[in-house]
Amino acid sequence: MLPRERVAYSPIVERPPLALPNGARIAVWTIVNLEVWDISRPMARQVIPAPTGQVLLPDVPNWTWHEYGMRVGFWRFKALYDRLGIRPTLSINARVCLDYPQVAAACRDAGWEFMGHAFEQMPIQKVDDQKAMIERSLDTIEQFTGKRPVGWLGPGLTQTYETPELLAAAGIKYVGDWVYDDEPTTIHTANGPLVTLPYSVELNDIPMMIVQHHESAYFEQRCIDMFDRLHAEGAARAKVMAIAVHPYISGQPHRIRYLEAVYDYIGRHEGVVHWNGEQILEWYSHSK
Amino acid sequence: MLPTERLSYSPIVARAPLRLPGGARIAFWVIVNVEEWDIHQKMPRTVLTPPAGGTPAPDIPNWTWHEYGNRVGFWRLLEVLDRFGIKAALAINGACISTYAPIAEAAHSRGWEFIGHGYTQKNMQKVDNERQAIRDTTAAITRFTGKRPRGWLGPGLTETWETPDILHEEGYDYVCDWVLDDQPVSLKTRGGSIVNLPYTQECNDVAMMLIQHHTASEYCERAIDQFEQLYEDARDSARVMALVVHPYIMGAPHRLKHFRRVFEKLHGRDGVLFWTGEQILDWHLTPPTNGTPTRD
Repeated sequence: MLPRERVAYSPIVERPPLALPNGARIAVWTIVNLEVWDISRPMARQVIPAPTGQVLLPDVPNWTWHEYGMRVGFWRFKALYDRLGIRPTLSINARVCLDYPQVAAACRDAGWEFMGHAFEQMPIQKVDDQKAMIERSLDTIEQFTGKRPVGWLGPGLTQTYETPELLAAAGIKYVGDWVYDDEPTTIHTANGPLVTLPYSVELNDIPMMIVQHHESAYFEQRCIDMFDRLHAEGAARAKVMAIAVHPYISGQPHRIRYLEAVYDYIGRHEGVVHWNGEQILEWYSHSK
Repeated sequence: MLPTERLSYSPIVARAPLRLPGGARIAFWVIVNVEEWDIHQKMPRTVLTPPAGGTPAPDIPNWTWHEYGNRVGFWRLLEVLDRFGIKAALAINGACISTYAPIAEAAHSRGWEFIGHGYTQKNMQKVDNERQAIRDTTAAITRFTGKRPRGWLGPGLTETWETPDILHEEGYDYVCDWVLDDQPVSLKTRGGSIVNLPYTQECNDVAMMLIQHHTASEYCERAIDQFEQLYEDARDSARVMALVVHPYIMGAPHRLKHFRRVFEKLHGRDGVLFWTGEQILDWHLTPPTNGTPTRD
């Protein structure tokens, strides 16, 4: 189904405003992305292309660059969110539960939400049997945590025209791939409605650091500028602000302080709730 | 026709001075670009590349990223322009008039100028029938506003060898694709001449944010640096300055204030006229000094 068949164009100014409990202005949704990069394939991202730009396998330097995030970077995130008492949403390749059980267990035991994020990191258009992959992902997570995920984010936010149908059939309630609004929305699928939550490609360390090559400190600045604007708008219309981070990027020693500074800044403001995807979904479902 | 057949090289210092009304130095125009991205095609720009590269279709993340501009971002830009009382030129894909009708209505009710910007966001070299795309765009705008558009901006500023000829034949008075001067110039076409107004790739959020990857504040810093130099250049002969904005880029919450800051800094400056393209065109065709239209 085409995007336009799922939902009509809707300018935000024509909608009744949403309201958060107790007059809060903004729901901050933190997403930690955990992935498995299979060494037998080209790496999802590269910090250093091979000399002369050829893609050569195995790509050991970029595999280890990502692996650093799982060995070291993730634990900086864990310490930060433990200290703040924030329980993020995990966007997790299900295979992380098998390959990095210590990481997945730490998240499970801390009460983080597990959002489906495919079995391993590759564009969903290249998955042979998407339906089976979705089931396998949700089963694997459910076996590990005891709870079936209600949310889904495509790897690199990718979808085919059938993905929302397959997700709805598998019992998924919300997706993060539609970065087209500041509010949750409802889209149509042949198997019932799906909610979109405002994930972010703006406050996201992949576009900012790996694609746009901004300096580490700019992450803090952009998050503050985003927060200030949405917090101001939130006086009349509640807003959701997503912050999406990856351990191999923002978990680097030279970047983590800027992520910490973002939460310090947010912490100095009233009218903020830190919610996971499922909490935002429940609030939105009861607001309609 | 080759570009050099359409106009001769002309150094700006060798021309007769241009005078704006009231001794103003700068005619400043703001162009807001509203586009429709076809989900069946490769996206014109991307914020996020797929894992391991390539261009797998459909590209939902980048389509929705652009759609954000029309659902949310445009309304922030509108608030800024309203606050400063500025009528922008809306460069709009013909198809957007119906797809994004509330945007077209908001612009029309404020007296903004509508300029043609292709029927969808697709390079002119790749459009099957260029004349038909131009006609469809003209018709869509005319039906909606009741007035034929006088200006045209190619999608991504693209042209074929024939575009200026076809535009002139289809009744257009100016184009914006030729970013070769700080003053309006006339281009020869096979049927007469068409004016080119100074548009910009320099103070343009596509080039600055998506290609050069500058931080958001650079949008304002560069616009002000550009303005100050043009203002100085204009002590003896007027200049035109363009500022270009796209809802999905500067309309993002974290960038909006840097768009607003441009107008805060220019507010109250003497010698600046905030005009639409059409006003600049009419001034160029009928300068206050001699009153003689220069269009053949």
